[in-house]
Amino acid sequence: MSKVFPPWSNRLPLQLALFLVVLGGLATAGVTYYFTPKYTRVGYAPVQPVPFSHALHTGQLGLDCRYCHTAVDKSPHSTVPAAQTCMNCHSIIKKDSPLLAPVRASFESGDPVPWVKIHQAPDFVYFNHAVHVNRGVSCVECHNNITQTAEGETMAQRQPLSMSFCLDCHRDPASRIRDPKDVFNLNSSRLVDQGKEKADAAVKLVQHWKVKPPQSCSGCHR
Amino acid sequence: MKHKFEHPAPSARELNGPRYWRSLDELAATPGFQEHLEREFPQGAADLNGIDRRNFFRLMAASFALGGLGMAGCRRPEVNILPYGKSVEGVTPGLAQYYATAMPARGGAIPLLAECHQGRPTKLEGNPSYLPYGGASNLQTQAAVLGLYDPDRAMISTQAGNEVTGPQVNDLLAKIRDTYTPIGGAGLAFLAEPSTSPTRAALVANLKAKFPKAIWAEYEPVDGSAPERALETLLGKRARPLYRFAQAKRVLSLGCDFLQSESGAIGYARDWAKGRRQVGKGEAMSRLYVAESHFSITGSNADHRIRVAGSQLPGFAAAIARRVFAATGRFPELTGALDRLAADLKIDAGWLDACVADLCGHRGAALVCAGFQQGLAVQALALAINEALESFGRTVDLLPSESPAADSIHTLAVAIQTGQIRSLVIIGGNPVYDAPAEIDWPVLQKQVSEVIRHGLYSDETSAQVAEQGGWQVHGTHFLESWGDARTADGSIVPVQPMILPLFNGVSETEFLARIAGDSVTEGYSLVHRTFTELNGGSEKDFRGWLHDGVAVFTGATVIKPRIAAAALAEVLRGTSFPVLSTGNLEAVFVPDLKVDDGRYANNGWLQECPDPITKIAWDNPVQISPRLAADLKLIDPRRLDKDQPATGALDPARHDINQFTIGKEQAHVVRITLDGRSVEAPVHIQPGLADYTIVLPLGYGRTAAGRVGNSVGFNAYSIRTSAGAAFATGATIEVIPGRTQQLPNMQEHWAIEGRDIIREANLAEHHENPTWAAGIGMEAHSPAIYGTDKDKPAAFKAAKTPRGNSLYETPDLDGTHQWGMSIDLNTCIGCNACVIACQAENNIPIVGRDQVLRGREMHWIRLDRYYSSGFESNAAIPEDPQVSLQPMACQQCELAPCESVCPVNATVHDEEGLNVMAYNRCIGTRYCANNCPYKVRRFNFFDYQQRQLDSLYLGPLGPQGKPELLKMAMNPDVTVRMRGVMEKCTYCVQRIQRAKIEQKVKAGASGAIEVPDRTIRVACEQACPTEAIVFGNILKEDSAVSIAKSDPRTYAVLGYLNIRPRTTYIAKVRNPNTNMPGQKDMPPPLSRLEYNQKNHAAAGHGEGHGPMHGETHGAEHAAPAHKNGGQH
Repeated sequence: MSKVFPPWSNRLPLQLALFLVVLGGLATAGVTYYFTPKYTRVGYAPVQPVPFSHALHTGQLGLDCRYCHTAVDKSPHSTVPAAQTCMNCHSIIKKDSPLLAPVRASFESGDPVPWVKIHQAPDFVYFNHAVHVNRGVSCVECHNNITQTAEGETMAQRQPLSMSFCLDCHRDPASRIRDPKDVFNLNSSRLVDQGKEKADAAVKLVQHWKVKPPQSCSGCHR
Repeated sequence: MKHKFEHPAPSARELNGPRYWRSLDELAATPGFQEHLEREFPQGAADLNGIDRRNFFRLMAASFALGGLGMAGCRRPEVNILPYGKSVEGVTPGLAQYYATAMPARGGAIPLLAECHQGRPTKLEGNPSYLPYGGASNLQTQAAVLGLYDPDRAMISTQAGNEVTGPQVNDLLAKIRDTYTPIGGAGLAFLAEPSTSPTRAALVANLKAKFPKAIWAEYEPVDGSAPERALETLLGKRARPLYRFAQAKRVLSLGCDFLQSESGAIGYARDWAKGRRQVGKGEAMSRLYVAESHFSITGSNADHRIRVAGSQLPGFAAAIARRVFAATGRFPELTGALDRLAADLKIDAGWLDACVADLCGHRGAALVCAGFQQGLAVQALALAINEALESFGRTVDLLPSESPAADSIHTLAVAIQTGQIRSLVIIGGNPVYDAPAEIDWPVLQKQVSEVIRHGLYSDETSAQVAEQGGWQVHGTHFLESWGDARTADGSIVPVQPMILPLFNGVSETEFLARIAGDSVTEGYSLVHRTFTELNGGSEKDFRGWLHDGVAVFTGATVIKPRIAAAALAEVLRGTSFPVLSTGNLEAVFVPDLKVDDGRYANNGWLQECPDPITKIAWDNPVQISPRLAADLKLIDPRRLDKDQPATGALDPARHDINQFTIGKEQAHVVRITLDGRSVEAPVHIQPGLADYTIVLPLGYGRTAAGRVGNSVGFNAYSIRTSAGAAFATGATIEVIPGRTQQLPNMQEHWAIEGRDIIREANLAEHHENPTWAAGIGMEAHSPAIYGTDKDKPAAFKAAKTPRGNSLYETPDLDGTHQWGMSIDLNTCIGCNACVIACQAENNIPIVGRDQVLRGREMHWIRLDRYYSSGFESNAAIPEDPQVSLQPMACQQCELAPCESVCPVNATVHDEEGLNVMAYNRCIGTRYCANNCPYKVRRFNFFDYQQRQLDSLYLGPLGPQGKPELLKMAMNPDVTVRMRGVMEKCTYCVQRIQRAKIEQKVKAGASGAIEVPDRTIRVACEQACPTEAIVFGNILKEDSAVSIAKSDPRTYAVLGYLNIRPRTTYIAKVRNPNTNMPGQKDMPPPLSRLEYNQKNHAAAGHGEGHGPMHGETHGAEHAAPAHKNGGQH
């Protein structure tokens, strides 16, 4: 009986299996790295109609977040300010700056300034700012400390804002929580990072306030 | 790593988005806003909103195709944040605002609160400040918001079909004014819809002063003024009866559908429910007798219902009156006349005697009401009976009203025929479609040289106006115009706009003000002027009125009548009625329970809502009785015999009566002839009709209603004359051989089959054994469910009782709240308001007639209507069925069968006991729907939200995208589901989350996160006129839902499955009169009779168990170790 298959073919199944394992592993690794929000979204900093610098306004000038984002502690949305809010100051300061032309135009005409949205949750996610900032979750947790950004840099996405990002905190709120008076203090640190005593206080706080971040679907998806 | 993306600036079209979204408050608050508005909706802006949809879709399809070819889909889509240029007072993006307004409707306005999202009304609720309705609403109110965003509304004004601008319309109105002012209006006529608005009344008075010779006529196809006219005849004073059902212990309805069709029905239903809730021993539950020809919602809730043809009702009323007068000694002189009238009546005297004895036994707490469609004799007799029963001032109040200062359409018709009219202004209404057949309005209208039409829709009348070269002025929806209105009890309520006119329409008041040359033509100022004139109030009062939506009710003067026998005798003298037979049928014209007289015909939510009784959607078949069907040989006459031997098959008669095949009702088509006019229509055999009555629902067969309402059903107006507007005798019916039509019937199988999902008892049994409901059904025979925790409160059972040793991991129900619902079947009247409220709140799509025929309707709440006959034979068709109603939505089982079969965990439990759906996770296997014992899950077989319903089967080749206008009706807090996704009720999870978040925000740095009871009102609960639905936290023992659930009648549907539904029902108690014929032995309700026949007799229980069956068994099975649990 003649040999139909040459001897090397005996190793073929093993080689194939090995190849598939390696290929599968690479594909998984690739997708995990390149297809996840951590890669695709972090660092997104589109060109804005006005190169607004948070570092200047909140860092150097010390404006409170809520001066512009007025509804952040009331509404699901933090609300980007109306041109009118900008004009409160910019009708006096830098009132002829060409960079502010879109704001002035908007104030005049009532047409909106087309800010490009950066922190974009999918349509089926119902994120609510008010409940977070009122219960000890600081702006910093999702938006980083924007007082520290380099001069001239516009807003950028700094956290993946993926579901696992949300769940990390929802599963362990004590590790992220701040003293309520520090929520809008962007240079403050989490209670857990302020020594053992404060870290214990954080755990107690979570219990006393009954901070029970939802971990079931209905918390965010409706 | 950092990426920099450069995007092009957004196009102008993208930036246009939020421009609609401005609220009226801005208008009032911001100076200079008015000017800004002019640019807000430029002349062509409406074009984007659907006029040029075809081209829009074509472009969209092309761009999607190109997008698919390139790699455009891989790029991150760019989204803009578009803040206001100038901040708007009171508006916080993301938070809803609520404003008081009112919906003008036939028979009185309904006060509302409109929920607005950035100036865009999305949901209407009843205004709780208006106490008679207590925040309840009905299905038309719930659907009204869709009417605002109807893409088929008239968007432009036209002359002879060509577009004209606003200034041209103003010129036209000025021209009419100038032409007719010198001649006092001779040759000018108006035909308007009746209105309750005081502002309009003032404008009409102005108009009449200016044009004394002009004709002002009003016409409405369904005239509700019969009771007022009867009172005018009897008392010489015009008044309107207001019933106090909460005070009435015995109610006799003479063809009066006070739970749905009467004006003020929401308040009546609410009051009536108060009397029905009182089932305790010391309380007096009310009893309802109904005599009616067609099956109304009120009839389906009656304790004793008798079928009396509409034309025979005078005889019936006379027979009742005769007995009441004999017992009370009133009107002895009328005995002869009443006897004559009642002589030909073929009604069991025992029924009449028992009913009258019961009424007379409750003098001062009895109430007789006559429906608005009944003639003078019935109205007059009802009033006289009420007087004899001492009802006035106790259960009936008479509210003085004013005679309408308007001519009838007949006067106008004569004027047109004699050539007196040169200009005709038609305001609202739709006379070409619904005018009485004998007038032949379409021909008349052509005889007028100049016709100007003001209306919301471009309808049949508009089409003819355009044909004869007339003008069509497009109007405004009530949610976009200023106005005022009166409710059924006479309170004046404001109609506030929630949004600027979407298409720059002209409101009715502004239109009239311009013709009259009023110095004020702006809606707001007109309303303000009327308010100040009527109340003399300050600006603060006006503001308060707008804010509350209702002025403080001062209490109208109430008349105490003294009816003169002579006047009554005069009324009775001219009354007689013919004997009905197959050759001399009575045609009853009823306003449809959904589209009313046809005005809501283009509302898809209402069209798709099943009729509460027939359960047919998207059609209005003629209803005939089984007796007539047998005479017409549509069914085997032997089927009417209740002793007809049973057949082996499941239930041939109950299923086959309307020829169901593969889920569709195959209706025969008949021709109905009345006075030489005939109409063809499908026929639906409806148990419970008077034998020789055929029911023709009005409001269908529209030809120019719009895409939704066109060619749905048949037009009953074509054979309706003003003499027989409510019912006409002399009709004949003939079956057209070989022609059938499919009807989308959502509930083909209407028997309960003796199952325990409906549990009913009579009041006497309830008093004897209040826990009777627990003894019915399989729980008494299944292994113990809660074991030793059986008697623990619901809160304990929900949170603590172990849920068994299932392989499937069950969640810990350790949330702060545990949600639950209780539905009281005693007070549920089956009105369907909850169905539409749910649709409006939860972005539920319309699927269209074809999909309903395939059983793919999407309603999250189904209102099951069962008939029971008590017959042992399953081949017999009942003529007098009892109706049982049951709203059925997701029951939020604690051990949900749907969850264990979902392969992707798209439906799981949350810690507060909700069975939630993560739509974005669902892959559409439909296993869950298959495993749901309640059949309450709904599947998106197509992309109903994105595709046109007539091109669903074209798939990707069909046009895609939702008209911009309809997008505005969507609730922004609820995901719009796509094709291939399962959906269902989640107890309005968006409302729960909103309330929880609001509470947490309020709590801040404290632990007070528990939402107070009654903060969350789920959509169905909020709409329910009878407060039958209660939702809340079952962990709190004093919450409304816990109190409701502690009622001993509480039971879980299919509870024996051990799935522990969070929605429970309170079993229905009927209150029959034991003196009635056939009630001597106190037979149980018919559904119970069927249950007993099916379960007990067959299982050999015998009658030995008697009424105590449940109790003994309940105790027996309480111990979990009881081994013979299932072996009975």
